[in-house]
Amino acid sequence: MATARGYFQNIYDNLRSVAIGMKITLKYCFQKTVTVQYPEQKLTFAPRYRGIHEFEANKCIACDLCAKACPVDCIYIDKSGPRRIDKQTGTVNPADPKNGDLLRFAIDYSKCLFCALCTEPCPTDCIHMGKLHDLSSYSREDVVVEFTELDKKNQRTPIPLWMERNAAKIPWVKEEYERVKSGTLATTAADIPEYT
Amino acid sequence: MYGTDPSLQSVTYGLAPGPIAEEQIDVQSEEMLVNMGPQHPSTHGVLRIVLRTDGEMVLDAVPHLGYLHRCKEKIGENLPYYQYIGYTDRLDYLSAMNNNHAWAMSVEKLAGIEVPIRAEFIRVMAVELNRIASHLVSFGTVGMDVGAFAPFLYALREREYVLDLFEQLCGARLTLSYINVGGVTWDLPPRFSEKLTEFLDYFEPKIDEYNDLLSFNHIFIKRTANVGVVSRELAIAYALSGPMIRGSGIPLDLRRTRPYSVYDRLEFDVCVGRGERGTLGDCWDRYWVKMQEMKQCIRILRQCIAQMPAGPFRAKLPRVMKVPPGEVYEQFENPRGHLGFFIESQGGPIPYRVKIRGPSFVNLAVTPILCRNVLLADVPAIIGSIDIVMGEVDR
Repeated sequence: MATARGYFQNIYDNLRSVAIGMKITLKYCFQKTVTVQYPEQKLTFAPRYRGIHEFEANKCIACDLCAKACPVDCIYIDKSGPRRIDKQTGTVNPADPKNGDLLRFAIDYSKCLFCALCTEPCPTDCIHMGKLHDLSSYSREDVVVEFTELDKKNQRTPIPLWMERNAAKIPWVKEEYERVKSGTLATTAADIPEYT
Repeated sequence: MYGTDPSLQSVTYGLAPGPIAEEQIDVQSEEMLVNMGPQHPSTHGVLRIVLRTDGEMVLDAVPHLGYLHRCKEKIGENLPYYQYIGYTDRLDYLSAMNNNHAWAMSVEKLAGIEVPIRAEFIRVMAVELNRIASHLVSFGTVGMDVGAFAPFLYALREREYVLDLFEQLCGARLTLSYINVGGVTWDLPPRFSEKLTEFLDYFEPKIDEYNDLLSFNHIFIKRTANVGVVSRELAIAYALSGPMIRGSGIPLDLRRTRPYSVYDRLEFDVCVGRGERGTLGDCWDRYWVKMQEMKQCIRILRQCIAQMPAGPFRAKLPRVMKVPPGEVYEQFENPRGHLGFFIESQGGPIPYRVKIRGPSFVNLAVTPILCRNVLLADVPAIIGSIDIVMGEVDR
């Protein structure tokens, strides 16, 4: 049985706690908000950000090391013959008859873990983790990204649906859209961390 | 479900029909089975708890698991050691770094790999940072379970800073895959120590703010103190670990009792519950242990920054790692308790058997004891204080 004193003490304690809580809440009412209004505002990513891959088909020698390193086997590689890097240009010369063709390089993003284990063993540094993270599609087939097909359009990474739709409306999206279309990499040499 | 066997027809959801504690109930009414979950906001994921209730009283509670089972142990038997890191992220997804660390250290012990000292310090730094992030979520969800929504937003605001640091460290925010066998995947990014110090200076006063907001809130104390009491004997009998056992006043912290990595070089206190607001081992004590541990994490992080040695961040390993035959069982202090990995190798690049001891799974086993003869509204408070992550319970 609560005493009358305890009863009023309880009410006092409750009100005091609420007042302390409200003081903190009110303090933040007049401070700058911490949320970012994405997609109107641009989000910045760290240099090491592990997004959807960027793939340079002209540097790939189809050695299968990335596919072997993948824990979920989501990288599919097909080639017609061995490919060799031309030491002078740093790329594979397609005119050289000794070089085979890279027939298919695809990543199934319904499986991908984004663990970046594939970028590590690559001897020619042709696969990087990019800066785009939001790839959506209407069907399961579209989730498998054919990077060799994209390379024919001179793209290193797929264009997300939202980017196509909002390019006209939002300035930073237009900038990003044009960068992806022109095939410029988001990953610069300085962004690629060094491995031992 | 139980076939045609008449003796099994009477089995109802695994609940033992027991006598009702008469003194606990004022008015006798009809018993009812209530399914709490699997889609319930306060069960922390897809946990289903079958409650036998009598009005507002819960007479029995039986947790039903398995809704998030993903065959983690079986997958481990089919992958090379270093490739399993991505899967350990998804065990206890709120503390991916700790899981990576535990797996990497178990494999290193099995294979006899020496890790450079800089890598050890980077690991401890990353792990303690993740402990802060994990305890922040726990703090927020405990508040949310008992009806305080605002602390959750405050907790996630600070967690965002930690995730930003992780993004700079390894490029991911939740599924980190940063600590791998032989060291860490990348060295610290430039100016990381300064950014971390900046965060710690910002974060330290915030803990006092949380205490004002939630810990010492009279309503919160009324909801959690003297609720869900785990006695010392019960904690030992059920092999509880982490804040669950420390909340009962037993200073069991593997970082101190069996120091691994470089924890023997670092100073920190093992926080235990003292029964300050109620009985020893109640929900508030367990909650308070976590709040104090965050301050200890800050202490450890500051020491890591000060002591960070130069040198390589990764041991030189062959691309296809051969592990000698043998077996190893190691336990590590995760934010939620002891995470254990049992690995058996028969030589070759993949393990023969992987067994995971998830702390959430073991801690959850005490739920039926704690949820006996309590009010229905106390059940979310108890589950919130046990602090389970279903990714680890079901694996």
